[in-house]
Amino acid sequence: MSVDYSTLAPGQEISNRTYDLDSGVVSRYAAAVEDGVFLRGGADAAAPVPAMAVAALGLRGVVNDLAIPGGTLHAGQELEFKAPVAVGDSLTCRATLLQNSVRGEWRFMVVRLDVENGEGREVMAGKSTIMLPV
Amino acid sequence: MNGVREGESLPAITKRITQEGIERYAEASGDFNPIHVDPEFAAGSHFGGTVAHGMMVAAYISEMMTVSFGADWLRSGRLKLRFRAPVLPGDTVTTFGAVKRVRETESGAEVACSVGVRRGSGESAIIGDAAVTVASTDGSG
Repeated sequence: MSVDYSTLAPGQEISNRTYDLDSGVVSRYAAAVEDGVFLRGGADAAAPVPAMAVAALGLRGVVNDLAIPGGTLHAGQELEFKAPVAVGDSLTCRATLLQNSVRGEWRFMVVRLDVENGEGREVMAGKSTIMLPV
Repeated sequence: MNGVREGESLPAITKRITQEGIERYAEASGDFNPIHVDPEFAAGSHFGGTVAHGMMVAAYISEMMTVSFGADWLRSGRLKLRFRAPVLPGDTVTTFGAVKRVRETESGAEVACSVGVRRGSGESAIIGDAAVTVASTDGSG
């Protein structure tokens, strides 16, 4: 899939995906970042899901639905965690383009992230700044 | 009272970065950008080799904040980060953080921190700010 990034306009929804946050998903994430807090909780279902696991899910749709090209750089990230997330939650992750501009050899895109749990409660919001090679 | 003091350092977290770890993060996050997982592609980039995902390294800051503030971080944490330098396989990185400001409120305290991650060379890979609302634990507000 290729995306003509020049046609993407601010305000446009670029991703809307729902993920089931099962124990395998969370365990793989915690192992990958060696999250001591979660890993010490072991198999305890009440162990808190690492906040950044939610952020990573929020970004997954951006990476895949925008078909981010090789060489893309992550320049900045803002995150706001609004409620704890538990293993077993279903998370809907939406991404909306805020800015899209070219400077020199880079395209700068700013994307807003919004994540809701299965009850419709917002659990995380954020803003990612990424630089795509032109 | 919440026990947090201005100037207090947050507990540093140190991690060793490996290519295997980067690939585990790619699997977990779904981000297979070749700059992270394809040594041949990455060798031709301006980094000259693969680099860790920024969000993988940023996760260590969040772990530091969770260790420091527990569930308060999960329900009210805010982060604003700039990715300044790449983190490479073989690097050992260490988080840093310090409480900049504590503002008491009716429900607890608003705590603002400076945070980041340093490479073994001392170079800052990530710098930024974090904030958290710490709930009052003694019922006095």
